[in-house]
Amino acid sequence: MHILVFIKQVADTEARIIIKGDQKSLEIENKYNINFFDEVAIEEAIRIKERIKDSQVTVCTYGTKKAVEALRTAIAMGADRAFLLDNTNLENHDPLIIAKILSSFAKREGFDLILCGRQAIDDENANIGAITAEFLGIPHVSAILKLEIMDEKKVRVESELEGGREVVEVQLPALLTTQKGLNEPRVPLITGVMKAMKAAIPSIDPCSLGIAKEDINTDASRVIVLSYEPPKKRPPVKIIEGETPEEKVENLMKVLKEEAKAI
Amino acid sequence: MSKDILIFVECKEGTVRKVSLELLTKGKEFTERFSSNLYAVLIGYQVKGIAEELKAFSDKVLVVDNEILKNYRWDTYAAVLEQLVKKYIPYMVFGASTITGKDLFPRLAARLNVTIVSDAVGIDFGGEGVRIKKPIFGGKIISWTACKEGSTPLVTFRPNSFSIHKRSLNGELIEESLKIAKDPRLNVVNIERGGSKKVDIQEADFIICGGRGMKGPENFQVLEEIADIMGGRVGASRAVVDSKWREYGDQVGKSGKTVSPKLYIGCGVSGALHHTMGMDTSKVIVAVNKDPNAPIFQYADYGIVDDLFNILPILKDELKRAKEEV
Ligand SMILES: Cc1cc2nc3c(=O)[nH]c(=O)nc-3n(C[C@H](O)[C@H](O)[C@H](O)COP(=O)(O)OP(=O)(O)OC[C@H]3O[C@@H](n4cnc5c(N)ncnc54)[C@H](O)[C@@H]3O)c2cc1C
Repeated sequence: MHILVFIKQVADTEARIIIKGDQKSLEIENKYNINFFDEVAIEEAIRIKERIKDSQVTVCTYGTKKAVEALRTAIAMGADRAFLLDNTNLENHDPLIIAKILSSFAKREGFDLILCGRQAIDDENANIGAITAEFLGIPHVSAILKLEIMDEKKVRVESELEGGREVVEVQLPALLTTQKGLNEPRVPLITGVMKAMKAAIPSIDPCSLGIAKEDINTDASRVIVLSYEPPKKRPPVKIIEGETPEEKVENLMKVLKEEAKAI
Repeated sequence: MSKDILIFVECKEGTVRKVSLELLTKGKEFTERFSSNLYAVLIGYQVKGIAEELKAFSDKVLVVDNEILKNYRWDTYAAVLEQLVKKYIPYMVFGASTITGKDLFPRLAARLNVTIVSDAVGIDFGGEGVRIKKPIFGGKIISWTACKEGSTPLVTFRPNSFSIHKRSLNGELIEESLKIAKDPRLNVVNIERGGSKKVDIQEADFIICGGRGMKGPENFQVLEEIADIMGGRVGASRAVVDSKWREYGDQVGKSGKTVSPKLYIGCGVSGALHHTMGMDTSKVIVAVNKDPNAPIFQYADYGIVDDLFNILPILKDELKRAKEEV
């Protein structure tokens, strides 16, 4: 089975992010990780590979040259191959365009199954998976919690519904987005890291995938960032005083009713 | 192009979800400003009763009632919306950033070849053009984005982003009969709904969240009781979910759910960044923690420094009394 995994390198949760003077660009502290939900996707792909003979895991990202680090981590975890779809001069916020590039790559590589995280924790979108599936004309299931390979042609997955769960059988090829609960991503072994350091990671110009440059360059984006601003700061916490727990609760109730109007 | 807005309405247990009423309220503000039409789209099976409720909130209610639409599936629902958007050519389509919306809207965007802005928390159409407000990087940054004119962008909004104003419009009910087929490559084997009578955690106005300080699963009973009194939900930190005290569906935070209730009370939650990223858009935040230096106090509006086991039983009684007074 050939499994493709789409990943994204994102700023670490702890990374400092500064809005630049023009209020239209950001300066991000140099702390990056693989998007948490994508790590789950890599892990799942490797587990399938460990179970099913002759499987291959190909990881790919559309991103900056720096994102090669994330690809190396994926190889260290156990992926077979990795590709960088280099976004130099093509930096883009439009999920439609990114999905177009990823689906073109998928068509070129061929695949039985595509896995990717349910959403990126930087832009907070949850779009790439389902859009790519539509472009490829294949079914998808979002945010899966369980995956069982029935045979080469079918998988059975469990996913979250509003207030419940759903079990679905999906014919392959298909795209599944992953979330926490599906597995615990492994920490790469030192042998994996050594292998990853040596691995050749080809860089691909998205324009070589048969998409016209004007369709994917920065201007093609139909989503435009107008400005960035910091979130509203809350005033400092008011510690509710009181001699006894009873008094504290009483005083809390008072402020919640009168000041915060929250009850 | 018209300035009509089309809104996909979500239902649960035979009633319109709160988030959809929020969107209809905001959508109506928009169409009033531009003297355009607000379309509510209701998709399902035997939903005509619900359509009546929507008439009060919109100019037109498009109803697609078909047994094949009984349960949500992206294939059938996207097919319906695709046809309706092509027929009515609205200026924008709104949906909710819920499990359903996150699954459906990107698929629809690709079908229509239009762009999508997801997980927005606000929209401004007072000045020049339409600006959409969206938190990124777990709320560390707020971005304002716009969509280029010319095609119908899709926008999904986080629940609890807007307030609901009861309207008394008398929208026209339009039954649409469309061609819909299931994708044979997808076979739903089983749907299991549990505890669905409770409000969805992302829509809850009140959340009381337990952290590792709760010490064990049995102690969440008091939180359940408090949530019931307040008509809200119990949330949990990841530490709690990882310890299997609560289900993953209750997890608030970066790798769980993003919530923005009117009132959030964190009990024995330390306030790690991964957690606060999922709740810092709550309107009022209260923290109960015995450690005065717990980071959660940097996010909270009000704090009680005490042992939560002393506080919770009293809090429960007080909230109960307050509710009974109303
Ligand atoms: C990639 C990643 C994603 C993550 N995603 C999430 C997420 O989505 N949600 C999430 O919550 N976390 C998430 N985390 C974990 C997060 O970093 C914290 O570890 C977690 O939130 C801590 O949970 P806690 O506050 O319940 O426990 P602790 O940090 O152990 O805090 C317990 C608190 O309870 C207080 N306490 C103890 N006993 C009492 C008492 N009797 N009375 C009053 N107070 C008491 C203590 O003072 C302490 O502050 C994530 C971590 C990573 C690495």
